[in-house]
Amino acid sequence: MSRLLLLLDKPNAHHQTARAQQLHRLHRRAMRSLLTALMVVLVGNGIVGAATVVAQEPPPRVLFARDILPVLSANCFACHGYDEAARQADLRLDLEDLAKSEQGEGIPVVAGDPERSTLWQRIASDDSDLVMPPPDTHKALTDEEKETVRLWIEQGAPWQQHWAFAPVERPEGNLDDQVARRLAQAGLELHSPAAPQVLIRRLYLDLTGLPPSVEVADAFARDPSPEHYARIVDELLESPRFGEHWARMWLDLARYADTKGYEKDLGRTMWPYRDWVVTAFNQDMPLDQFTVEQLAGDLLPEPTIEQRVATAFHRNTMANDEGGTDDEEFRIAAVKDRIDTTVQVWMGLTLGCAKCHSHKYDPISQADYYRFYALFNQTADADRYDDGPLMDVVSAAQQARRAELTAEVTRRQAELDEQLAESLTLEQQGPWRLPRFDRLTAASEAKLEVDAQGAIQVSGDSPPEDVYTLELTLPPGTYRVIRLEALTHAVGNGVIGLGRNPQDPNFVVSEFTVERLGDEPESLALEEPRADFSQSGWPVSAAIDGDPKTGWAVSPRPNERHQALFNLASPLEVTAPTTLRVTIAQHYGNRLVLGRFRITTSGEDPSRLTPDSESESVAQARAALQETREQLNQLNASVPRLPVMQELPTARQRETRIHVRGNFLEPGEVVEPSVLPAFHALPEGAPLNRLGVAMWLVADENPLTPRVWANRIWARVMGRGIVETEEDFGALGSAPTNVDLLNWLAAEYREQGWSLKRFLKQIVLSRTYQQSSVPSPQALAIDPANELYSRGPRFRLSAEAVRDQALAVSGLLSLKVGGPSVMPPQPDGLWRSTYNGQSWIDAEGEDRYRRALYTFLKRTTPYPSFTIFDGGSGEVCMIRRIRTNTPLQSLVTLNDPVYLEASAALAGRMIDAANTPEDRAAWGLRTALVRPLRDGEAAPLVALYEAARARFVESPDDARALIATCRGTGSQEPPEELAAWIVVASTILNLDEFLSRR
Amino acid sequence: MRKAMEEMRLKAIQQATRRQFFRAGGLSLGAIALSQLVGASTPTRADDHPLAAREPMLPARAKRVIYLHMAGSPSQLEMFDDKPELRRLHMQDAPASFLEGKRFAFIKGVPKVLASQATFSRHGESGQTISDWLPRLAEQVDKLCVIRTVHTDQFNHAPAQLFVQTGSPRLGSPSLGSWVTYGLGSENQDLPGFVVLLSGGKTPDAGKSLWGAGFLPSVYQGVQCRTDGDPVLYLSNPAGMSRELRRRMLDTVAEMNMAEHEVSHDAETLTRISQYELAYRMQMAVPEVMDLSREPQHVLDLYGAQPGFVSAAESASDPRVLYKGDDPTFANNCLLARRLLEQGVRFVQLYDWGWDHHGSSLGESIDETLPIKCQQIDRAISGLLVDLEQRGLLEDTLIVWGGEFGRTPMMQNNVRTELQKGYIGRDHHPFAYTMFMAGAGIPGGMSYGETDEFGYYPVDKPVGIRDLQATILHQLGIDPYRFHYTYQGLDNRLIGPTDEGRVLFES
Repeated sequence: MSRLLLLLDKPNAHHQTARAQQLHRLHRRAMRSLLTALMVVLVGNGIVGAATVVAQEPPPRVLFARDILPVLSANCFACHGYDEAARQADLRLDLEDLAKSEQGEGIPVVAGDPERSTLWQRIASDDSDLVMPPPDTHKALTDEEKETVRLWIEQGAPWQQHWAFAPVERPEGNLDDQVARRLAQAGLELHSPAAPQVLIRRLYLDLTGLPPSVEVADAFARDPSPEHYARIVDELLESPRFGEHWARMWLDLARYADTKGYEKDLGRTMWPYRDWVVTAFNQDMPLDQFTVEQLAGDLLPEPTIEQRVATAFHRNTMANDEGGTDDEEFRIAAVKDRIDTTVQVWMGLTLGCAKCHSHKYDPISQADYYRFYALFNQTADADRYDDGPLMDVVSAAQQARRAELTAEVTRRQAELDEQLAESLTLEQQGPWRLPRFDRLTAASEAKLEVDAQGAIQVSGDSPPEDVYTLELTLPPGTYRVIRLEALTHAVGNGVIGLGRNPQDPNFVVSEFTVERLGDEPESLALEEPRADFSQSGWPVSAAIDGDPKTGWAVSPRPNERHQALFNLASPLEVTAPTTLRVTIAQHYGNRLVLGRFRITTSGEDPSRLTPDSESESVAQARAALQETREQLNQLNASVPRLPVMQELPTARQRETRIHVRGNFLEPGEVVEPSVLPAFHALPEGAPLNRLGVAMWLVADENPLTPRVWANRIWARVMGRGIVETEEDFGALGSAPTNVDLLNWLAAEYREQGWSLKRFLKQIVLSRTYQQSSVPSPQALAIDPANELYSRGPRFRLSAEAVRDQALAVSGLLSLKVGGPSVMPPQPDGLWRSTYNGQSWIDAEGEDRYRRALYTFLKRTTPYPSFTIFDGGSGEVCMIRRIRTNTPLQSLVTLNDPVYLEASAALAGRMIDAANTPEDRAAWGLRTALVRPLRDGEAAPLVALYEAARARFVESPDDARALIATCRGTGSQEPPEELAAWIVVASTILNLDEFLSRR
Repeated sequence: MRKAMEEMRLKAIQQATRRQFFRAGGLSLGAIALSQLVGASTPTRADDHPLAAREPMLPARAKRVIYLHMAGSPSQLEMFDDKPELRRLHMQDAPASFLEGKRFAFIKGVPKVLASQATFSRHGESGQTISDWLPRLAEQVDKLCVIRTVHTDQFNHAPAQLFVQTGSPRLGSPSLGSWVTYGLGSENQDLPGFVVLLSGGKTPDAGKSLWGAGFLPSVYQGVQCRTDGDPVLYLSNPAGMSRELRRRMLDTVAEMNMAEHEVSHDAETLTRISQYELAYRMQMAVPEVMDLSREPQHVLDLYGAQPGFVSAAESASDPRVLYKGDDPTFANNCLLARRLLEQGVRFVQLYDWGWDHHGSSLGESIDETLPIKCQQIDRAISGLLVDLEQRGLLEDTLIVWGGEFGRTPMMQNNVRTELQKGYIGRDHHPFAYTMFMAGAGIPGGMSYGETDEFGYYPVDKPVGIRDLQATILHQLGIDPYRFHYTYQGLDNRLIGPTDEGRVLFES
């Protein structure tokens, strides 16, 4: 029997046209289904026979869900299925009652009677006008498929639900029983366990993405008891490294990135969400809660900060900031992406096609799609440049510090106010006198008011330029000097300064003029202007030079009080109250106008009056306040502002219409929100919004969520899913290779309270997981792709694990958790995006060697060494990574600075660890591979060391150059020695076994 | 059930050498001599390699493609589509029919009609009209099929570029070059099958997704070959690592990997050994093919190429103000493209940035910048056509030239409403624009389609993006309707879900 399967699996050596290949595969698949079914019978009867025996057995039982539904889905449903618009001849084959009743020219399926069934007649027809599917569809049934259909009708045409939509029922037995039973059907059994150190390395890499130390592995080898193993499992599940590793799995699905995508691809602060995911995995948040918080955390009663952070999940959608784009177009694209992602991630179904027309294979109409869309169409985000709504993600420490600083600012402000009041009062008792103000006006709408200190405060309208006109009355006396004081005030945004623009609280007094008002206004000449401080190029003399383009300004000291004194060219002697008009013209623009100022006069001898700088105590109080304010500003600026979901208020909720042919510019009929009607109903009491959707996804009645998730987690650990098309559990997806195993896992995951840690523990404790990855010849022949899990899987590590492992064994890896994404070295000149000022600056120090999870991900230019190893760009939801094996990958691990620096660090460790070349090579190899070495295994490394060393002795410049490139300087070793070990270490980091998990 | 086909293909990629294992009849693979696997000079042509050359589905006219994309979108009205009516209506208010129900990126209110800033003449035996700004290309006009009626439904750069290059205005679909290498593989395993070359100082607006593999396996993504720095990322050995020492090191890697394979029996290990060998050969082959100094002077002159030239515009924050007519960067890329194609690369994609001539700021005008950009490409493209013809490559090399949309017959008016030298611009125009194709069975010396008197809409033979894509695949011997990849339950095709795309030239 195994020979037979082998025969089937052997590829056709001939080069065929695509069409022929397709036919060949259809044939193979149909045959394989039948044969598998057959084998069950045979094995059950204890008969193991050759092909000739097979032919004599009664025809095998055809199973609708396995053998027929896929054929109908692929060949018939496009025109005779769910999509009303595309339906031909008013004939429907996707529903049992319709398929078995009179439709058009006859009854498609007459149970037990193929000849009377129009389905059979049409697929079997030789007439090109009658045969189905019509030749122009480029579809055709193979003879085997036709025969299977005929057999099925003959056997009574029993109908079955698509397997994935049937309720989850847990089969008898434990996990290993499910695998063993399926293996037995194929004539195989569970394999022997992996060697202890191999198993421990596998376990570490699967649970944490990092390798174990040799010591831990050896300790287990000394005591390989199940208890010891379970203890290690528990330790790993509790390690903070666990969440970092499993978060990456989720971030692919969540299309996480650090930029917004499209043309500008500007940065976006998403890392608080990434840290939330890590924490959720580390805390083993149950899947139902994980679902609800991310889809609708904001709709929970009194949501916590964390629950709102979780909703950033669906703000990972891209935004287009390109000039001239229609925000609504890209808002809609984002909403559709949320729906696609949600349904794919939880239900394993694709809704993509239902945007434009009803789904042809799965029971989802276009109207269903837009009803579902209506539930997601009510959030406030709208592809705006600011990416709003945003939330400040304040940590507890930041919150405490902020309160502290705010109190400090208040205290220091009060101190300063006190000092200022005192100084102003003191001055008034000196030579200066306040006039009485009669009228204060501004050319703009700004308001001018006198306060208790006689200062004039400007408020209200804030134009680019302004002219203040002050009419003041002088009591009888002699007046020789006029003083203008620019006073500090709260400009806005926490800035203290003189002007009115918080970005630049400077002022420019273009012209300062004084007139005596009488029957005829008389201009009073001013002279000897002097100020305590003037900006370079903007002297106080310019304020009275008659040129409105010049003036007096005070940068870089616009945050403290300044004074300007002007002598009256002829002293003013008044005997009766006299009115003056002071005009302060400020024409510079950019709102560089006085915000608070004072006018005083004096009759003293001008030569005795000088402009005072601010008193020492005021200056100190001001500096202290400024410093605290800056700290507060820095703190506030460091608080990440995260895009989150926020529901529109009821009154502003959007009406949803069908988009005809998927085009939002062609609105169709209005639809009411609803979950997908082909599946279970909204749980009782669930609201009709995103929260309801989340509850619906994790409801007990939903068979898809547990199957899809169990399959996904299994695939991450076992190398491939039981359903290989992890993204498609619909009619066109691939069939499970072991449906009992999948059902068992799905039931287990849900019944264990959706705990990932408990679920993973079940898996890694199983015999199935612990099997050796070295296949028996029999397993290799019967189960070459390990679809039945006849051995432990061996596969190349993920992009992230490849990097993290190299850094770990070399001792460079930083275990710093969380925070903003970092920029480890990447080749120069990669970021050349259009109109984007951001740049990549290679990190130094710890951030150079963080876990791959923390690497900045720019959507249009993802970190190259990760994409070369099949990592995603975060543009759209990535359900699984297709593993490839390419020369570009070899170039990364050979030449990327990360691996070169790891080589130098590992070389250093090897030199430190032992004294002879043999011991050093063995130590390095063992550290990387963890398992005990075979006899002579390190010998090629020693030979390489000797060859490399000889070469470097000849060319010491090369040795030094290599050491410098690999950042190996600082070692006391002779250069040829260190360089040779770098070559050896790099060799170790490039070994297939090192790059693989086995 | 067609799914099975793609799954098989994926498996072939994931376990590339597994079948080889079976062919070996289950013998211990240790029995296969190491030298056979790591032989340094034999190119790997295993049928099961994902990039192995594959026969097309249909008879093919084209074996390889060079696609010249002018990112930003050149003005058809200054280069190919002469419209005397625009001269007559110059600076008059645009007719209402131009504006009703239209969405523009930047135009506001009622703009003025703008006459072509270039003059045109007839050339060649075919007597096609072509701009005097393209004097050398004019001499080659009998080789070109000028398609005047291309239209798209996207009017912003990133989505429009994605639409023409991947068949979807959203991110996540495979690029044309990825589809083609997925379908046909590559003739030379020492070089990437799909190479991308950039000029103009910026990455095109939609970024690297334009040559991404989308949902196809990542081996099919375009590899950007750079003319400054490592031509392929991580290609160079670190300083101090000689090629001989690298060879010695890779021998050790191979030896130890073979030993591991004897234990593990994992065919992936064999694949990895051969990939390290490929990498080693690429380290030699790529710099060789990228080295223009190997070309004789008369060939360099034909293109206007200059080996080793690095333009200041390539690293400027705003390259547009530094554009010069004699900048050879694009010409160098054209010559590199020919060298790559000659070596068996399947698809070479050039992106030249800086064609977005709105006239709203310095360095992006129709009247001053466009003539400079024309000068940059004129000699290079005509040189490429002549060179390919002389080498007998033109008959099976498909050349495609164009932008992501066209430019309006009206002057853009959001910044300036009066004509000002150096600031004359046109907005994005998706309804009709010009592209051209040449080589590989494309009828030369002809105009395809016709636009109305303003160049606003097609009046005869409109050509959609789907038609263009269907035609390119068809020329390569790929049936555009059947060529698909099943992903997430959909049979994804380059030409999209409907059959609206038509092949333009049935052969």
